[in-house]
Amino acid sequence: MNGQKEVDYRKEKMKSRIAWGIAILFACIWLVATLVPFIFMIMNSFRKQFDMLAQGVFHFPDPWYFENYVEVATNGFFGYFFRSVIVVAISLILMLIIASCAAYPLSRMKFKMRGLIYAGIVAMMSIPMHVTLIPIFKMTTNMGMYDTLQSLIGPYVTFALPMSVFILTAFMMTIPKEVEESAEIDGCNKYRNFFSIILPLSKSGLSTLAIYNGVSMWNEFAFANTLLQTPANKTLPLALGQFKGEHAMDIPIILSVLVLSVLPMIILFIVFQDKLVKGMMAGAVKG
Amino acid sequence: MVSRKGDNVAQKNNANGLARAREKSTVKAAAVFLFPALFLIAVYMIYPIIDTFITSGYSWNGISSNKIFVGMQNWKTLLTDMTFWSSFGHNVVVMVFSILLQIPIGMLLATFLDAGGKKFNLFKVIWFLPYLMSSVAIAFLFSYALATNGGIFSSIASMIKGGKVTVDLLGRNPHALFAVIGVMAWQFTPFYMVYFIAGYGNIDTSIYEAAVIDGATRGQYLRTIAIPLLGPIFKTACTMSLIGSLKYFDMIWNMTGGGPAGGTELMATYMYKLSFQQFNMGYGSCVAAGMFLLITLIALLFQKIFVVKEDY
Amino acid sequence: MKRKFVSIILAAALTGTLLAGCGGSGSDSASTSQPAAEEAPAESDAAEETPAEEETPAAEEEASGEEAAASSTEGKNIPELTTEPLTINLWDIATEGSSKEIQEDAVQRFMADYPNITVNQVHQQNDNYKQQLIVAMSSGQAPDMYIHWGGGPMNEYYNSGFVNDLTEMFNTYDHPDFIEAAVAQSSYDGKILAIPFGGLSGCDIFYNKTIFAEVGIEVPKTIDELEAACDKLIEAGYVPFSLANGSKWTGSMYFMYLVARHSGNDEFNAAYTQENGGTFTSDAFVWAGEKIQDWVKKGYFPEGVNSLSTDDGQDRALLYDNTCAMMLHGSWQTRSIQDDNADWYKENIGVFRFPEDAEAAANGVPQNVEIGTAIGNGFSFNCWNEDGSVDQTKLDACFVLATQYFNDETYNQKQLDSNTIPSINGYEKTIEDPNMQVVAQVFFDASNVQLWYDQYLPASVTEVHKDCMTELFGLQKTPEEIGQEHDAAMQAAIAE
Repeated sequence: MNGQKEVDYRKEKMKSRIAWGIAILFACIWLVATLVPFIFMIMNSFRKQFDMLAQGVFHFPDPWYFENYVEVATNGFFGYFFRSVIVVAISLILMLIIASCAAYPLSRMKFKMRGLIYAGIVAMMSIPMHVTLIPIFKMTTNMGMYDTLQSLIGPYVTFALPMSVFILTAFMMTIPKEVEESAEIDGCNKYRNFFSIILPLSKSGLSTLAIYNGVSMWNEFAFANTLLQTPANKTLPLALGQFKGEHAMDIPIILSVLVLSVLPMIILFIVFQDKLVKGMMAGAVKG
Repeated sequence: MVSRKGDNVAQKNNANGLARAREKSTVKAAAVFLFPALFLIAVYMIYPIIDTFITSGYSWNGISSNKIFVGMQNWKTLLTDMTFWSSFGHNVVVMVFSILLQIPIGMLLATFLDAGGKKFNLFKVIWFLPYLMSSVAIAFLFSYALATNGGIFSSIASMIKGGKVTVDLLGRNPHALFAVIGVMAWQFTPFYMVYFIAGYGNIDTSIYEAAVIDGATRGQYLRTIAIPLLGPIFKTACTMSLIGSLKYFDMIWNMTGGGPAGGTELMATYMYKLSFQQFNMGYGSCVAAGMFLLITLIALLFQKIFVVKEDY
Repeated sequence: MKRKFVSIILAAALTGTLLAGCGGSGSDSASTSQPAAEEAPAESDAAEETPAEEETPAAEEEASGEEAAASSTEGKNIPELTTEPLTINLWDIATEGSSKEIQEDAVQRFMADYPNITVNQVHQQNDNYKQQLIVAMSSGQAPDMYIHWGGGPMNEYYNSGFVNDLTEMFNTYDHPDFIEAAVAQSSYDGKILAIPFGGLSGCDIFYNKTIFAEVGIEVPKTIDELEAACDKLIEAGYVPFSLANGSKWTGSMYFMYLVARHSGNDEFNAAYTQENGGTFTSDAFVWAGEKIQDWVKKGYFPEGVNSLSTDDGQDRALLYDNTCAMMLHGSWQTRSIQDDNADWYKENIGVFRFPEDAEAAANGVPQNVEIGTAIGNGFSFNCWNEDGSVDQTKLDACFVLATQYFNDETYNQKQLDSNTIPSINGYEKTIEDPNMQVVAQVFFDASNVQLWYDQYLPASVTEVHKDCMTELFGLQKTPEEIGQEHDAAMQAAIAE
């Protein structure tokens, strides 16, 4: 009996070693696949266009060339950057609040329209974004908001909503209903339940959404290009246009803009990725 | 509207007073919570999509004041439009492979990180990088990486076989479509990774502790407890990948523009060309509306077929 | 731990709200601020939101400089411009570099001479320009003056009522002496619809002089000589032509020239109307298609030619790393290559015109039809009163701006300095760059300039044509099949 258990344990250990070995191998391959293109982006941003084209893009900078960054920095990059930060921050926060409000009844209340609304949300996810350009442009000009930063907030929040509600609903469904029931017995009403129990428990879902939508808002081009026209009002993805000519573009400069715009996202991710894994991790490390 | 219907239900059920009051208050609370989202969606999405359906009934170049009503003519054309249906076919191929690639790989990566804990943080950050890169950069880098001259695959093939070997991935069909699917998987897998990490994070720590006390190994815990608990999360991930790949536009537009010879043409790129480049807004809107109906239909069917146990 | 997370969210929300306050008021004040005279008008958007009929008080103040004499236009027969305040919305695609500088300078000089007129110059991105224009036009927000490339889209804008007919003004008032081809490409249905300003673009073969010298080949004069040269290059280990046909219109250049050399303009014009037996399956088209496929098989083009993109510079890269010896391309490439490396350009790059078809020449087919664009960019005007009649006041101002400030001495000299040849008679003599001299020579000697098919054909046919070019170079379809597809698309477009 005891011996049997010992063998099982050994077998299990052996198996787990092999599994880890394979996993690490796979992990390293994937690491190269994700890192290499990124490194190329950085490398090529330190070259002159001619060198890049003549030597090939997969070549170390020779010589290193820093002027691209100087040119980007002196062409109003920080203005674009700051405006993007404002729009994304406001839109993201508004969106997270509205989406979590909407997901709560869809995941944790029973009422007749629920199925229909849920289906409607799925349908809204299927809207091809380009059909909304003309109606939203008309609406924006009618509201007198054309060429202002505010004009972007409405579309940004709304286009992130269906998917966010959809995901949050799924996340809130995984919260055991006993949690809420016990609170209700304690005399909490729906509103307090939401703020004191459901919202804090959905934080991993919320942070995923913040990452997903933050990145797509940060890189959003089509609405910004349609709704803004004065350089002093434009956001970061439009800054690329400054370096793209009619017939040719200076690729290394564009890559330096892209490197500079992706850096803050990486830093934010490094800072906040911890929030993602809390919950289980606390126990897992001990185990 | 919402609250009156709820009322009726309550009365019909003729339940006791307390239940009725609860039902009523639930409906009211639901309406309050849902209002902001529904309002914004009505303004920014419902109105445009209705507008699209209306425009699909016209022959219109998109700018002229002269719109000619043609009834169902555009829809009839759409039904037999080979370009549209082959684009739809490409979309379906992209969809199937996106779900088959992005979600399992994302899941594997997440499981690996989840099991490894904090010491794998560097992996996590680097694995996430592709998702942060904008489509412009991805399109540029991969058009070089996949190029016949000095591209990664051509270079590797030349190294293995010796001598110059050309691997033409973007210039031929159907290779181009699969090359693009590969790039999409590279771009979006990191998101599903983060998504599943969050899913694992959402599982109550006590469940794992209880499992350990019961003598379960990590593998057993994952197989029998964690993954089933991720059911709803898994289903939403599939739905997102499904919808995302059916209406995909960005990177394809930048990298292949639908080429070569329509080999990577998707519904969205076809619609864009018609509406904004070929002065055919009427038919372009019809393609958009058809695309909307198809995606919604597939997504809702998927919701019905793929039933997971819901906690509520 | 939980509390920390919540507090971060709260802090973020707070900062967000604060920023919202700043951002909101900031851009509010920007959008309501009145355009002070010294403020660069391109930066101010107030004019954009105010219909021209109801002027802002600030704009009226500007009108005080009424007597300002238009110094640079003195003694010329041009329409007298209003002294009332006026705002012109202008869209161009000069987002960067010298073209931005040159075009902004023209507008600034105009506004200095007419202080009562504000030009709101917006630089749109080229990639999405057509989309932007459609969105604005369909929403009643179209600019008063906008750039386009002529061809099918110009006709479409005209038919939809977004282009003023300039024929009468053009015949009445002074304007630069545009070359004939430029006027022709600015016209449609016998009416002049645009003022060219972007200079002409020829299409010629750029070659690496060093490689030619090394292999010992002369500039070929006929297609037979060209093929002989290519064979020699292949022997010496070079790929003759650099081509990035992922962009499709690049491969089309070879096709267009072969058709033009084999049949002049006749067969294309016939096929364009599809009348009198005109078809894209006629002799010259099939011959051109077969020639290209023959060249592909012989290795005249790089492998995987359909996977390379000219937007990413992959064709220039093949020249720079000495893989390829020649490149048939638009003459703007001289500028792109110079921008990349001026020394390398001077040392290595030469140019010659597309060789002749000796056999066709013997049969009397003209060999000096050129492919390219004589107008580069044109400005069309969209000035209407609310009742639908022409807003002549504004139109006059736009006309003067486009003909006397764009296209004047100062402007053209700057264009030449940046390697662009104005499409105006006389300037070809002042070109210094030897390659550009050749380009201009070829262009001005042409009996006819055929606009790029992908701009000349109706938009729906263009799409078919571009896909066919991929299939042609990819050996996926025969020239006959491609011709039939062109015919079908052309007939459908004519039927509409």
